[in-house]
Amino acid sequence: MINFIQFTVTRALLACLTLFLVSLIVFSLMEFVPSNCAERYLAFKNTQGSNITIEDIEAEEKKLGLDRPFVVRFSSWISNIVLKGEFGQSCILRMDINELLSGRFMLSLLICITALIFSYAIAIPVGIISATTKYRSLDNALKFVSYLGIALPNFLVALCIMLFMTIYYGDTMTGLFSEEFENVPWSSDRVKDFLSRAWLPIFVLGWNATAFALQTVRALMLDESDKLYVMAARARGISGMSLLLRYPAKHSLGPVINSLGFDLNRIFSALPIVALILILTESGALLIEALARSNDQQLAGAIIFLLTATIVFVNFVTDIILAIIDPRIRKGVMGGS
Amino acid sequence: MKHLLEINNLDVKFDTDEGRITAIENVSLSLDQGKVLGIVGESGSGKSVTAKSIMQLNPGNTIYNDNAEIIIDEENVLKYHSKNDLKKIRGGKVSMIFQEPMASFAPAIKIGHQMVEQLLLHKSLNKKEAKSISIDMLNRVGIADAEKRFNQYAFELSGGMRQRAMIAMALSTMPKLLLADEPTTALDVTIQAQVINLIKDIIKEYNMGVIFITHDLGVIAQVADDVAVMYLGSIVEKGPVNEILKNPKHPYTKGLLNALPDINNLDAPLRPIPGNIPSPLDRPSGCVFRTRCPNPTHECKEGHIEMGLLEVSPGHWVDQCCINCG
Repeated sequence: MINFIQFTVTRALLACLTLFLVSLIVFSLMEFVPSNCAERYLAFKNTQGSNITIEDIEAEEKKLGLDRPFVVRFSSWISNIVLKGEFGQSCILRMDINELLSGRFMLSLLICITALIFSYAIAIPVGIISATTKYRSLDNALKFVSYLGIALPNFLVALCIMLFMTIYYGDTMTGLFSEEFENVPWSSDRVKDFLSRAWLPIFVLGWNATAFALQTVRALMLDESDKLYVMAARARGISGMSLLLRYPAKHSLGPVINSLGFDLNRIFSALPIVALILILTESGALLIEALARSNDQQLAGAIIFLLTATIVFVNFVTDIILAIIDPRIRKGVMGGS
Repeated sequence: MKHLLEINNLDVKFDTDEGRITAIENVSLSLDQGKVLGIVGESGSGKSVTAKSIMQLNPGNTIYNDNAEIIIDEENVLKYHSKNDLKKIRGGKVSMIFQEPMASFAPAIKIGHQMVEQLLLHKSLNKKEAKSISIDMLNRVGIADAEKRFNQYAFELSGGMRQRAMIAMALSTMPKLLLADEPTTALDVTIQAQVINLIKDIIKEYNMGVIFITHDLGVIAQVADDVAVMYLGSIVEKGPVNEILKNPKHPYTKGLLNALPDINNLDAPLRPIPGNIPSPLDRPSGCVFRTRCPNPTHECKEGHIEMGLLEVSPGHWVDQCCINCG
């Protein structure tokens, strides 16, 4: 048990270190973008018609604390996030980022995790069946569908569904809420409305992820099924589902869990483009807005930090789960008993 | 006397993308209770395929010929297809141990659980009884601390101990026939000797029949009563082990014996059998051994010569094409 705690703590520290390094990279990238927040904000003001001078910029820099050295600014940025959970002010929108993101990031997370669960809920059973029927047409059909899933980009699928919806229902199904629920507080009706629309981004994101996960599960199952211990189990009279689930499937579970973090990463990466097409009001769309349109580095940095933190956290959790379920790792981690 | 196992005219073919491959051709053999039949041959000679045929463990693309018989207890087990029938020859009347003891245990399931699972499948026992039988078996094969080992995983045991545990598991259901597919090949020599002695003791104690597959004639000399020499899917010579080792008739058997290092003259060059075993895809016409035969004749090639085994002395059978080849 002591060893297990040690393992968990070590992993947690490593996760924190990873997060720290990533935040340093994110912050440095924000720095490398030509012109700082003050200049950009004032330039933005300029387009609105007001005249600006060098003095204005310097005053603004002082106000934002941009005249301090890099290390000081980075430490205050990261310590505000870690200690107070505050991401500061958006550069262009001049709004509190926490307020801007509240709810939106949770929505993104909800969509991505649901898509991940959806894809594995399909991929695991189907992958197992697909691997057992090695030489049959069902397997070929599944292979075809899953290659299609890998080959078709998410946004194309989204566009096709939108087109279909528009033609047959007269509603593009874009957005996460219908008009009447867009800006009202949460209620049971709003949840219903959300669910009636959220399936589309979940499906679009999950479609691709399912295809990948299916290939992973299938390949792992085929790999394990060819191993000697499966033949040895058959030679002992074990057959059917109890053979399949207890032997190859059980032993494929580790790598499948391992791939969860990886797949969440992929879904997260696909989210902004899908969000843009489906006009979702969540943080993925905001990230594109901040990165590509308004050049709002503070906002983009905050979103990227949150995404990374989630992925690091999921990887940490899968590491712990693996250590618990796989005896080979567990023995190494917990020692003796 | 009724044989424990009788294989008659077994052909095994595999359907592959490259075509239909003949893995076994016209194999017939028999084994009595309490006896050990050694099957020797190079890799790819069909030793394992023969053993796996008994349990129908060959892959899904395997085709058995219609007139083949594998008879155990007066039933042709090749005709078994239902789950319950197959259970009888898989872990029930027949058990198998494999070359790699590490790889033949499921890595993430405790050894004891795998043993209990098998016992519950074949015997009407409750879990507690199955556990105590398993621990007894582990004790029986010489595993110290059996109760502790019961709750361990294969990776926590040494190589020799794993093979002992494998034997314990194979014997726990009291099979009549044990198929041992190169059980000592992956072990070092001292452990090899221990495992061979264990198998010999157990055969006596349980009065079971054993098919012992190996490429090692030294091991055959130690364990087997009878031996069958296989080449490219066919038995080329079979008979009592002393007769075959002392008075081999087939050039291939002679070659195998010649290839053994001579302990009295270690400086003598090793004499491998010339040539390579042909690919099963490219099976020679006529006599299968003719590509490596010291003096093949035109008849061998054309297949004009009488095929099949001929009894040269009581119980000693040789492929008649090759009796006079060298």
